[in-house]
Amino acid sequence: MLALLSDEQQMLKEVAAQIAGSAGPSNPSDLNTVDRAAAWRSLAQAGLLALRTRDDDGRPVGSGVEVAVVAEALGAGLVPVPYLGSAVLATELLALAGAHDEAEALSEGDARTTVLLDRHLSALAVLPGEQVYAWDADGAADALALTAGPDGHQVVRVSLDTGFVPATGADLTRTLLRSDGPIDEARLTPVGRPLSAEALLRWEALALTVISADIVGVMRAAVARAVAYTKERVQYGVLIGSFQAVQHLCAEAYVQAEASASATNYAAWAVDELDVAEALMAARTAKTQAALVAREVTETVMQVFGGIGQTYEHIAHVHTRRALTDRQVLGDEGVQLPRIADVRLTGE
Amino acid sequence: MDYRDTPEEAEFRATLREWLSATIPAGWDKIEDELEAVRLRKDWHRTLYRAGYVGMSWPVEYGGRGLSPVYDAILNEESGNLGAPPLPSVGYIGRAIFMYASEEQKRRFLPPLLSGEASWCQGFSEPEAGSDLASLRTAARLDGDHYVVNGQKMWTSGGQYADWCLLLARTDPDVPKHKGISAFLVSMTEPGVTVRPIVIASGEAETAEVFWDDVRIPVEQRLGAPGEGWRIAMTTVAYERGPADIGFIANYRRTLRKVEGLAAERGLLEKEEVRKALARAYVRGEVLRLNCMEQLSMRVSGRAPGPEGSIAKLLWADAEQSLQHLAMDILGADEMTGVAAGWLSSYFTSRPVSVYGGSAQIQKNIIARMLDMPR
Repeated sequence: MLALLSDEQQMLKEVAAQIAGSAGPSNPSDLNTVDRAAAWRSLAQAGLLALRTRDDDGRPVGSGVEVAVVAEALGAGLVPVPYLGSAVLATELLALAGAHDEAEALSEGDARTTVLLDRHLSALAVLPGEQVYAWDADGAADALALTAGPDGHQVVRVSLDTGFVPATGADLTRTLLRSDGPIDEARLTPVGRPLSAEALLRWEALALTVISADIVGVMRAAVARAVAYTKERVQYGVLIGSFQAVQHLCAEAYVQAEASASATNYAAWAVDELDVAEALMAARTAKTQAALVAREVTETVMQVFGGIGQTYEHIAHVHTRRALTDRQVLGDEGVQLPRIADVRLTGE
Repeated sequence: MDYRDTPEEAEFRATLREWLSATIPAGWDKIEDELEAVRLRKDWHRTLYRAGYVGMSWPVEYGGRGLSPVYDAILNEESGNLGAPPLPSVGYIGRAIFMYASEEQKRRFLPPLLSGEASWCQGFSEPEAGSDLASLRTAARLDGDHYVVNGQKMWTSGGQYADWCLLLARTDPDVPKHKGISAFLVSMTEPGVTVRPIVIASGEAETAEVFWDDVRIPVEQRLGAPGEGWRIAMTTVAYERGPADIGFIANYRRTLRKVEGLAAERGLLEKEEVRKALARAYVRGEVLRLNCMEQLSMRVSGRAPGPEGSIAKLLWADAEQSLQHLAMDILGADEMTGVAAGWLSSYFTSRPVSVYGGSAQIQKNIIARMLDMPR
């Protein structure tokens, strides 16, 4: 047993942090000027968009741990690029469906595809259906969803050129599009072979894990920012970080963020190493923990920043918005806990 | 990164499980008489020792096997899983002795500690020095080739059954409080040592207070240099946590299974809020387990235990106490009418988890210090 990143994974973490550091906003107005295209190119050049494509033996090029490391770094930097949507969620779906050429096309960084979620953002959309959202759709020409068929679920591609309008999403770092009506079958192009039930659960395990990793990155960076602020801000003639009330707020937020990181690290390892039921249980555990604390931790950060932390021009709410949205995507704790209970209590 | 056992660890675990299944004394947890329970725990220590399971991570020259602390964690985990009697906690006293003792002290004290011939307690806290341990007032005055100790210790767990005590006392009242403390290895049978058990809210005599009246300790039983006591105490406290945490987690998982059973017996498993609360308790246990595995991995890769242990301590207290709240919610009146025997005692036993080994508030102070927040 050794529950620590390997040296290579540690190096990957540094590379990802470097890319994230130069592409993330320091305040909300930077979001208008950040060079998103350059950040995407850097990710492609470092091979980070290709981690979930498959090698010649059919194995993922990068493990769940590696993708989670990158997702956490990009979350920490609040980087406004669709890594989760295109490089992880869509790429993995294509690879599982055996559409390897399409998956590889995404890894080069020229084309982008994302996924369609149901109107609660809590599951991959099954079409034809009611209203759906294309989440993390920056620069994406199309998005993937499922149709139900006799041989299991079929992955389908839907163009985003028509039938979608921009939604005013809470998360300022991701693009959200809403379908402007039901999506009719003529607009669906099947991709690859039908997915087995197991493949779909594998996808869900990976997807929940990387979203949790994004939340962990957001929380850790937000707490670090708040703690740094307590070492500069003076009130009553002393640094506010010297007040025990402020210290305990920060310590509690720090513990919750670290606890989420521990659960997410395991889930990331489990994605490719454990059987699908265990991997999914680990992913639901990680998502539950992250979703449960994401709101409180980012609210604590806004509280530590005091008045300035409540303003639009301050970075604090950008963390909160990204964390709150991530919390919903593929289901918050309210969605995960009953499923964990099903496994624990009825063995389903 | 690998959360699985290595082949060697897996083999060790399998052998251990077999041994435990064959060796755990039947009905040990039904023993009501306290002295008999204590005798059983001492016997269990000796049984474990003879089978080579005590002090596995100690250096070979001090009677250990020089194995990684992962093996201690596996022992703790499987003991919890299989419901074995509590493991002897030789780790932290042993650590203090082999880090700070003279060669002669090591030869004298380590073998009986390991074998279970001598059991130890920890004389640290005092009525006026709990979280603020450094303000302790028990005094050790040098008188020829002896120290003469006077004072009172509190929360000396197992004090009523221990043969020896790792005692902290002030040897120099004229220097800053952290610098005037020394550590001693003292026999509990010395004249002037009086032990009075403390019954905690659960009704059980879990700990004790110890009175020291003109107790004479030979100079050669001082551990480390004069004034080094604080450093020794901090080392000891840091090593109190670690592989043993995994054992607490195994116990937590067993208790969670029992609580799930209570909900099932009472026909509550169809209730959405009960299902969610039970799943939440599972998540708390998992988060704690995984955090402890990371901490243990850091220790295995050569890092001394640091203030990161405070994170696990806070998570553990929260998990343990929340689980008892959940049991209380499920049991309702049955916990108050004595119908569900034992659960009220378990509830009260969960309360000091956020007090002992440094209160939750102290743990947060330690984390703030680790975050380098202003003093």
